[in-house]
Amino acid sequence: MLLAAVDYYRPDTLDEALEALVSTEGARPLAGGQSLVSILKLRAASVELLVDISRLEDLRTIEVADDGAVRIGAGVTYDEMATSPDLHQSYASLSNIAAHTVDAQVRNRGTFGGNLCHNDPINNFPPVAVALDAVMHVTSKNGDRDIAAGDFFTGYFANALSPDELLTGVTLPALDGRSIGYQEVEIGEAAARAVAVVATSNGNIESANVALGCLPIPMRAPGVEAALAGAPTTAEAVAEATASAADGIEPLTDADASADYRLAMASVVAKRAVMEAIEGGHHG
Amino acid sequence: MTAPTTEKVATTPWTGQSLPRKEDERLLKAQGSFVDDEGMYRQGYAEFVRSPYAHARIVSIDVSAAEALAGVITTLIGDEVKAMTEPLFQFAPKEDGSQMNEYLLGVDIVRYQGEAVALVMAETREIARDAADLIEVEYEPLPVLLDGVAAAEPDSYVLHDSLGDNIAWKGLFDWGDIEWALEEADHVVKIDKLHFHRYSSTPIECNAILVNWDPGTDMIRVVSNNQFPMFGALVIGPSMGVGVDQFDFVSQDIGGGFGIKINSYTHIGVLALLSRKAGRPVKWTETRTEHHQSGGHGNERTFLDIEVPVMADGTMLGYKMRAFDDAGAYLHYEPLGAVIWSQVVPGPYKLKHVQVDYTETLTNKCPAVPNRGYSRMQHIWFLERVIDLVAQELELDPVEVRKLNYIQPEDYPYTTPNGCVYDSGDLPTALDMVLEMIDYEGAKQLKEERAGSGKRIGIGIGTTLDSGTNNFGQSRILNPELPFSGNGEACTALLDLYGEVMLKLGTNPQGQGHETTGSQVAADILGMSPENIRVWAGFDKSHSAYIGFSGTYASQFAVTGINAIIGAVEKLKAEIIEVAAHAFGAEQDQVELVDGEARIIGNPEAAIPFIGIANMVFANNSTLPHEMAERVSLTCRHVYVPKFELPDVEKKYGNLTLTYSSQTHAAVVEVDEETGKVQILDYAVVDDCGKRINPMVVDGQVHGATGLGIGAALREAFEYDEDGQLLNSNFLFYHAATATDVPNIKTDHIESPSPFSGTGAKGMGEGGGAPLHTISSAIQDALGPGKAIVSDSHNPPERVWRLLNWDGPADERGVSVASKGTTS
Amino acid sequence: MANAPGPVQDIEFTLNGDPVSRTASSRQLLVHFLRDDLGLRGPKIGCDTGHCGACTVNYNGKVIKSCMTLAVQADGAEIETVESLAGESGELDDLQESFRENHALQCGYCTSGVLMSSKFLLERNPKPTAEEIREGIQGNICRCTGYVNIVKAISAAAHGDKGLDLIERMNREHSQEVRG
Repeated sequence: MLLAAVDYYRPDTLDEALEALVSTEGARPLAGGQSLVSILKLRAASVELLVDISRLEDLRTIEVADDGAVRIGAGVTYDEMATSPDLHQSYASLSNIAAHTVDAQVRNRGTFGGNLCHNDPINNFPPVAVALDAVMHVTSKNGDRDIAAGDFFTGYFANALSPDELLTGVTLPALDGRSIGYQEVEIGEAAARAVAVVATSNGNIESANVALGCLPIPMRAPGVEAALAGAPTTAEAVAEATASAADGIEPLTDADASADYRLAMASVVAKRAVMEAIEGGHHG
Repeated sequence: MTAPTTEKVATTPWTGQSLPRKEDERLLKAQGSFVDDEGMYRQGYAEFVRSPYAHARIVSIDVSAAEALAGVITTLIGDEVKAMTEPLFQFAPKEDGSQMNEYLLGVDIVRYQGEAVALVMAETREIARDAADLIEVEYEPLPVLLDGVAAAEPDSYVLHDSLGDNIAWKGLFDWGDIEWALEEADHVVKIDKLHFHRYSSTPIECNAILVNWDPGTDMIRVVSNNQFPMFGALVIGPSMGVGVDQFDFVSQDIGGGFGIKINSYTHIGVLALLSRKAGRPVKWTETRTEHHQSGGHGNERTFLDIEVPVMADGTMLGYKMRAFDDAGAYLHYEPLGAVIWSQVVPGPYKLKHVQVDYTETLTNKCPAVPNRGYSRMQHIWFLERVIDLVAQELELDPVEVRKLNYIQPEDYPYTTPNGCVYDSGDLPTALDMVLEMIDYEGAKQLKEERAGSGKRIGIGIGTTLDSGTNNFGQSRILNPELPFSGNGEACTALLDLYGEVMLKLGTNPQGQGHETTGSQVAADILGMSPENIRVWAGFDKSHSAYIGFSGTYASQFAVTGINAIIGAVEKLKAEIIEVAAHAFGAEQDQVELVDGEARIIGNPEAAIPFIGIANMVFANNSTLPHEMAERVSLTCRHVYVPKFELPDVEKKYGNLTLTYSSQTHAAVVEVDEETGKVQILDYAVVDDCGKRINPMVVDGQVHGATGLGIGAALREAFEYDEDGQLLNSNFLFYHAATATDVPNIKTDHIESPSPFSGTGAKGMGEGGGAPLHTISSAIQDALGPGKAIVSDSHNPPERVWRLLNWDGPADERGVSVASKGTTS
Repeated sequence: MANAPGPVQDIEFTLNGDPVSRTASSRQLLVHFLRDDLGLRGPKIGCDTGHCGACTVNYNGKVIKSCMTLAVQADGAEIETVESLAGESGELDDLQESFRENHALQCGYCTSGVLMSSKFLLERNPKPTAEEIREGIQGNICRCTGYVNIVKAISAAAHGDKGLDLIERMNREHSQEVRG
C-alpha cells in the first residue's frame, strides 16, 4: 500500500514542532506511526505535512514523583513502558499491560501518546487512562493546558485536541495501594475490555473505578462503581455489582462481534477485571 | 523401487531420511527469488482499479486524467479487452450451450466487490497508484445476491444474463439404494442444516506477476507465482488468441500457494495485454486488500435436509442430503469442486447408500477457488459432523461408533459406492494412537472435574482423508465433452558436460521441498549423494519438463512428481550404464553406479566417473559407436502417467484418485462459558501417507495443514455485509493465526504403503481439513447432549457463546431421530 | 533519486554496518525504500496493515515493521536486515542453522521477518520458554509451518538441545501446564 504525496519534517525541539503544526495547513504529528501510517496507506486522511515528534526528548521520559504519581511522556513507546524499572516499581500492572500490547514490533514503535490520541476503539490505553483519572498534558503555541482523561476522548478516532495542540504527557495519580485489573475478550484485537482500579481493606472493596473500552469513547461505569464500594471482595458480590456494566454503553458491531455480544461481555470483563484487581493486579 | 539398485555395494537409502532441505540456505539468507525480487529492463508498474460495489453496471470509465499524469505509460479498460479477446473458456456450459461470459477485465457489469475494471501502468509504483485514483468510473448499483442457496431459486435475480440462471452446475449423485436404507434402518438421524464457511489459507506472499510481451519475438514471458501455470495457459491462451508456445512461464520461489494461487491466470492474461499495449514489461504486486477481495476464497458449502440411516448397533448405512456450493461471481477452476468431493464420498466409513443432490450457484462474492483441502474437506467435515451427531443423538460412544464404521485394515483395497479405490490404511490403530497422545481417559476425567467451573472441557476427534493424484477424467462428470482425463507429471534428468547430475521438474513448489525429496530419490538410483544432485530451482517452461497437468497442487508430488523423477533418472542410469559397458567392453548387467562413478561390479578399480561418461557423449563422441552416439543423449525425459480409466459419467462412477492418505486428529479444548472462547489444551495428529520420503518434510506439512485448519476453525472467515462488502479485507479483520493462537501440535505416524503408487508413497500435504472436523467435534462434546448443535465450521467466540446460551425448544435444535416403531 | 512525485528528503543511515546516503521520497515506506531503492530482498511485503511481520527489520537495536515506518524516519538510524545474519563467507549463523536443521521454514517468505524477531527475542531473553517464544514471534504470521518447527528451532538455538527430545519435553510441559 502506497501513501499519497506528503511532506515530512523532523523538528529538533518541541517549540519547532508546535510551530510546524500551526504554520502548515494539514500538518499532523507523527509519533510511532503504528496507526497513522495505516490511515495514510488507505489514503483515508488528507495530510500535507507529517511532523515527526518521535525523537523529541521532552516527550520521552517517565518520571515517578515522590508520592508515587507517574508522568509518562507521550512519545514513550510501549516497550519502554514495559522495560522501565521505575514504572515497573510504581505501576507494575501498567508495565505488564504495555508488555503484552500487540506484538514486539509494534511495542518498539508505538507510543503511549499515540495510542491515546488515536482513540481507535481497539486501542488499550484509553480505558486505562479513564479508569485511573489520568491527567493529559497538552501544549501549543498558545500555552499549556491539562485535560482530564474523562474529557479527552470525544468519539470514534477523535480527541479533544485542536490541530495546533500536542499531547506531551500523561500523569497517572499515585495508586496508593490500589490495584489495576485489566481484562479483555480477544478476537484478533480486543472485542471487549475493562479496566478496574480497586482499593480493598479487610475483605471489603473501599473504592473501585471501572472503565470499559472497545467503545468510541471509553466509559466509566458509575453504577458498577457505586455498587462495588463497600461490597465484600467475594466473587459473588463482584459478579452482582458488575452485572449492570453494560448500562448506557453503545458498542459497535463489526466483523468480529455484534453489539449484543459486546454488551453481554461488558459485565464479564468488568467482573474479571475487578476480581483481578482484588487478587493483586494485572500480571499480563 | 527406490531402494539402492546396486547389489554389491550396500548403502543406506537416502529415501526415508529427514535430510535438511536444499532450498533453505538461500531462503534463510534472503537469496531466494520471489516475483517482486525480480525485475526487467524498462519495466513499468501496474495498478488495478476495482469495483467498490458488489454488483453494478459500469456506466462510464474516464482514463484521461490518469493518462495526463506525468509518468503514466498507458491504461487499459474492459471495453478494450473485450474488443481484442474472447470470453474465457468455461468447463461446463449448459446443455443448450449457454454459459457466462467472463473477460480478463470487467466488462459492462461488475459482479463482486474488488472486481477489476481498469488498469494503469506507470514508471513507478507510486505514480501508478496515484494515477489509479484519477481514473473515474461511474457505476449504477444493481441488486446484490449473497445467499448461495437462495441463488438457486427460479425467481432469483440472475447475475449472468447469458447463463439464464445462477446455476453453475447441478447434478444428482445416487449410489446404492438410499431409500431402501432409510426404510431398513432402525434409526434415521435428521439434521436440518450444516454450513462450511468461506475462508482462505491466505499465503503471505500475495499474487505477483511480471510480464513482458516481447514486441519483436511475440513471446510472452511471465514471471509469476501462479502454482498451476499450465492450467492458466489452457484457459487464457484461447481467450487471448495466442498459442501456449508463446508463453514462457517462470517461477522460482513462491511464498505459499495452498491452491489459492491457481487463480491468478486472469490477471496474467490482462497484464500481458497491458504489456503488449505499452510495448514494455510490466510488474504487478497484489496488495493484501486486493488479495482478500479478489484473489480467491475457499468453497463455502451448505448441506440441507440431511438424513442418515443407522442400525441399532450404530452401523451407518449411508446418507442423503442436498448440497449447495457458493462459487461466487465467476467460475475460476470451478465448477470442478462440484465433483472433486466425490473422491471421498463415504469418507473413512463403510457407507454404502448415498444420495447427494448437488447444486453450485453464483453470487456477488469473490470467486471460489481451490484452497488446501479443496472440496473434499467440506465433505468430510460434513461426515464428521454427522457421525458425532449420530453418536450423540443415539447415545453411542463417538470412538466406538467410528471404529464400528471405519473401513478396516483388511478391507483395502476398498471400493467406495462410486467406484473410487481406497488403497491402504489402518484407521482404528491411528485412532487408538491419537487418543493415547491426548491421554483420552485423563481428558474425560478432566471434563468431569471441570464441570460446573465455568470452563467446560470438550474432546474432539477428526478423521480425514487426503486424496492425491486426481483422475482428471472426473471433470467429464460435469461435461462429458471435456477433453481431460488421467493425470501425470514430467521430469528431465540429465548429465551435464562435466558429468554433473541435474533434474528439471514440471512442478513449481511453494515450500514443499521438491528439490530435496527429488534429489533423495534420484540419489538412491544413481548411487550418489543428494548433495551432488542439482534440482533446478523453480520452473521455467522454456527448458523444464512439463505436461498439461504440471504444477504443484492437490497433494500429488509424492506420487506424480517422484515417479516422474524415478522414471527419468532410471532412463539416465540406463544410458550411463550403456555407455560405461561399452567403454569397459562389458555387459550392462556387470556395471553398477557408486559414488558418481560407473564401475564393474565387484571391482572398484574399474571405474569411470560421470565426467568420463559425459565426455564420451558430449565432447568425444567418435569413441562411441555412431548409432549409440546419436541415440544416447544423457538428457532423459520421463512422463509418469498413473493408470486411470474414464469414469462412467452417467453413473458418476469410477476411480477418481490414485492414493488416499489419512490423518486422525484429536483435541482437548476448554470452552469459556461466559465468553464462548475456545482454548485448545492439547492437540495431536497421527498421519498415514504411506512411505515417507523425507519424514521431516512430511511432519512439516502436517503441522502446516493443522495450523491453518485450527485458524480456520476458530478465527478465520470471509464474511460479507448485506451490501456485499467484504468485512475481512485485511489482517486487521481476517485473523490469520499467530504463534500464540496455535498450540504445540503433537505428531506421530503409521505407514500403510500404497500398492498403487510404485514407491508406496501417497500424496499428502493438503491435510483434509481435519482441525475443522476436530474442533467442531470438541465444541459439540463440550455443549453436551440435548443442547444446541455445532452446525457451522467456523466457531469464533460469539458463535460458541450463542450455542452455549441457546435454550430453544427441543424440536428446534436442528437435529432429530426417527426410530422404528416410534414417531418423532 | 526518489521514486515518487512529491517532497523528498536527504537521509543518511547505517544499513547492516555500512553507511547509506540517499534521497528518499517523504511518502515512501521504509520497506519499499530498502527493496526498490537499495535492492534488498530480505524485508518482504505481505500485508497492508502491519500485521504479518514479513517486513521486520531491526531499527536502533529493536525490531520494527518496515512497512509501518517511513524511509525518511531511517535518517540517523542503525538498521539491520536479515542480510546481516550470515557470516562474511556466507555461512549461516546459529539461528539460521537451527531453522535449517529443524525445518522451520517452508515457502521461506515469512522467514526473514521471523528470523529478525527471533534474534531480537533471544537478545532480550536468551533462554526463553516455548510460551515466551510464541509471544516473541506473535507479530510474524507464518502460513506454512503451524509455528511448531519455528518454536522448536528457536528453542534449540537457545537451549542447545535439538530434535525430538525437545519437542517431547515441550509436550510434557504443555500437558502439565494445562492440566494443572
